[in-house]
Amino acid sequence: MRRLGPRAIDRLITATLALGAVIWLLSVEGRQGIGRDEAQYFRAGERYWGWFSELGDNLAAGHPGRSFTASDIDRYWSDNAPDHPVIMKVLYGMSWRAFHTCTCLGPARGLHPVPIRARHTTLPLFARDSTAFRFPAILFAALLVGLVYRFARGWLSRGPSIVAAVLTLAQPHFFFHAQIACFDAPIVTMAFAVGFAYWKSLRDPRWGIATGGLFGLALGVKHNAWLIPFFLVGHYLWMRRGDLWARRLPRIPLAFVAMLALGPLIFFAHWPWLWVAPVARARAYVLRHLEHEHYNFEYLGFNFNQPPTTAKMKWIRATAPFVETGLTVPVTTLALAAIGAVMLARRRRGAPVDPDRAEPEGPVAENSRDRPSWLRPGADVDRAPGAFVLCQTLGPLAVLAMPSTPIFGGVKHFLAAMPYLALLAGIGLGAIARGVREALPEARARLRPAAPIALAVLVCLPALVETRRSHPDGLGHYNLLAGGFAGGASLGMNRQFWGYSVLPMLPDLDRRVPENRRLFWHDVLSDAISMYKRDGRLSMGVGDTGFGEEGIKRSELGIFFYEKHWAKYEAWLWETYGTTKPIDVRTREGVPMVTLYQRGIR
Amino acid sequence: MSKPLGRRGLVLVAAGAIALLAVVETATALVAPALAPTDADWTAAATAVRARFRPGDLIVAAPAWADPILRQHLGDLIPAEVAARMDDDRFGRVWEVSQRGARAAAAADGTVASDDRFGRLRVRLVERAAETVTYDFAAHLAEARVSRRDRGGAEVACTPSGDRVSCPSAGSVILRRQIVEVDQKLRAAALTEPFPNAALVIEFPAVALGRSLVIATGLHDTWMRKAARGTVEARLTVGNQATTLPVTDDDSGWTRTRVDTEAQAGQTVAVRLEITSVNPFDRLFAFAAEARR
Repeated sequence: MRRLGPRAIDRLITATLALGAVIWLLSVEGRQGIGRDEAQYFRAGERYWGWFSELGDNLAAGHPGRSFTASDIDRYWSDNAPDHPVIMKVLYGMSWRAFHTCTCLGPARGLHPVPIRARHTTLPLFARDSTAFRFPAILFAALLVGLVYRFARGWLSRGPSIVAAVLTLAQPHFFFHAQIACFDAPIVTMAFAVGFAYWKSLRDPRWGIATGGLFGLALGVKHNAWLIPFFLVGHYLWMRRGDLWARRLPRIPLAFVAMLALGPLIFFAHWPWLWVAPVARARAYVLRHLEHEHYNFEYLGFNFNQPPTTAKMKWIRATAPFVETGLTVPVTTLALAAIGAVMLARRRRGAPVDPDRAEPEGPVAENSRDRPSWLRPGADVDRAPGAFVLCQTLGPLAVLAMPSTPIFGGVKHFLAAMPYLALLAGIGLGAIARGVREALPEARARLRPAAPIALAVLVCLPALVETRRSHPDGLGHYNLLAGGFAGGASLGMNRQFWGYSVLPMLPDLDRRVPENRRLFWHDVLSDAISMYKRDGRLSMGVGDTGFGEEGIKRSELGIFFYEKHWAKYEAWLWETYGTTKPIDVRTREGVPMVTLYQRGIR
Repeated sequence: MSKPLGRRGLVLVAAGAIALLAVVETATALVAPALAPTDADWTAAATAVRARFRPGDLIVAAPAWADPILRQHLGDLIPAEVAARMDDDRFGRVWEVSQRGARAAAAADGTVASDDRFGRLRVRLVERAAETVTYDFAAHLAEARVSRRDRGGAEVACTPSGDRVSCPSAGSVILRRQIVEVDQKLRAAALTEPFPNAALVIEFPAVALGRSLVIATGLHDTWMRKAARGTVEARLTVGNQATTLPVTDDDSGWTRTRVDTEAQAGQTVAVRLEITSVNPFDRLFAFAAEARR
């Protein structure tokens, strides 16, 4: 039998890790409810598919130009614009079109955002429409897991690299976002991919071009991509600080040139909505996010919905990303990451990150091929891996620490730091495992190979168990330091947002006929209700009385999500229904998430 | 003398610490879900409270976030006016249903008359000195005389019109009793809006005074607090005794002020509340007040 070479083994491990991530996420995503944002992306994705479908029809009819008129573009592409670019939404729509099990001519036919004219021919991989929509996001999360392993392998041996990859996914809050059809996990994948390519570009010009292309794609995934260059420039200037001290400007590397050239090009090319009025609409998109509203968010018992004005509140607000990281990432992962950070800080210039890996980080420019230039700007210097990880980890957190930045998404706003945190944990584990191996006396030499493996398995356990425990309420989960769901609630930390957590109550709501014909859904968007019906989780007759106080007045049954800023809705429910007594409370480990009220039940 | 740890020792200590942390974290994650009170615990606790509950008792959950589950089991004994009470001072008997070692502020002082455990829940009955309400202002809102006083001092009477009061040549403002949200907590209160460039005067003509008058104020509605920054000033006149209340702004929460009325205890007097704001845009001013003995 042929033995696998080292590269083949790494490819096999990468594929196994990615496949494992896909299987894990697909096996649990069905328990995850649909939030307001995801419901809109489902709708937009299907509508964008409608444009491609019509383009096919127009091509067949010999009039492809019809699909490129302003009115036709806007008919499809103005959905969810200028909010977000469309790469992921297009993928969601295409995945749905390709992989759903079509019952499209059944009772839910009218719930689609584009008319259903005939039964769809599909490869019916998924029973639920929502799973088909979510599949690309899951693939992106799996891609990230694979990328982390591959990146870590540049610095570490296999065991710690595998651990870094596992710990990337095994984080309750990242795991929550990794399985839903939104952009927060995909942009982490793209940011990591850009960082990976940039790192390689420091000594290989082919990766310089790739960095630009990947950056363009990242811009098409989510606006967080705007921040990527700042973190990379921060590292680059540190790596080439010798130039600055010598009072000469560092060479502008190919990667940055490519990002500048290809980034905007790909961004404009990918989004038809921009084509109609490129400058005005690009401006609208940029302003949408520069002037983004501060939605409500609970942190340490305070409800933040605008930039703090007092010094005390600014300080409290500035701690949010750091405290949230400290209270949501599994503690063992954090401890390993701290050790990894120390190891990176103590690394001697030019030395490899892990002595087990023979590849030094120091200058390699010894012959003409490796001569430093803008094509290989890292050839004549130590590439400063510590500074690289520091910029990638602290960069996203620092942006969110600014009091003027909205924090309504909680951890999701700085998820880009998490794979690097996992990488640090891998470095920490590598150092400890190496030390243990060396510390074992000769008499116990037979344990030397086994001890690091046992340690690797052990450090992954809490992350895996905590992540499993958190599902499907990852947003309300807090770590050992906080005291879990209950500890987070006692600390006044956010429990949930955007109405996703109702899903486990759907069977009960569906049974409550006829009261459920007049149901107040509170923070559940009508698009989410439609998707629950399309998925077969709700009967078609279940009603929706609309939003706000009027919606409550029209209703017989009403659900209520526990977030600080919604309190007045509970008052309306009490006053309208004449009771303070819920007929059901959905809890996680004793912590209320959603309550159900019924008119007149005392 | 102990030998200092060498590098080898440090590594083993670090590895041991990480391994121990991993074990503890894993075990905690596995065990924690079982530490939450069960439905049976809540049912048993509710049965115990119900058996000895007297009208006028207060039932609270500790931690406060468990309140919805408490109301699911005992909500019929917690009407909206109690759930959204101004404060806890008028309750002589407090039932505290607690978990995880938490304590409710309402049950912090007093004598523990009973203390029982029901699985993961603990039920304590705390008896304490209570104040008796002689006059609840929000409950008597319909009796209030409302007027508008301009900067020159001219005062015109306003007339009730549904949930509002209409004032000649000045439009109308909300004045109603409702459950308001101040600082993301619910309070049974009176809700109104300040006039631009004039004072809103609400006079309760016949208030039976006790030893003190407690008034709490705040701005209603998270979204309104987000939308504007104006402050609201208020002055309370009890008989001839005037008190300037703390300025109410977006961050002041539910602020209680206690006015000593010992000297007028037993008397029935007029009480006036004058509300002004330089910038009244989106200011929904809530107040609750009680005369107590």
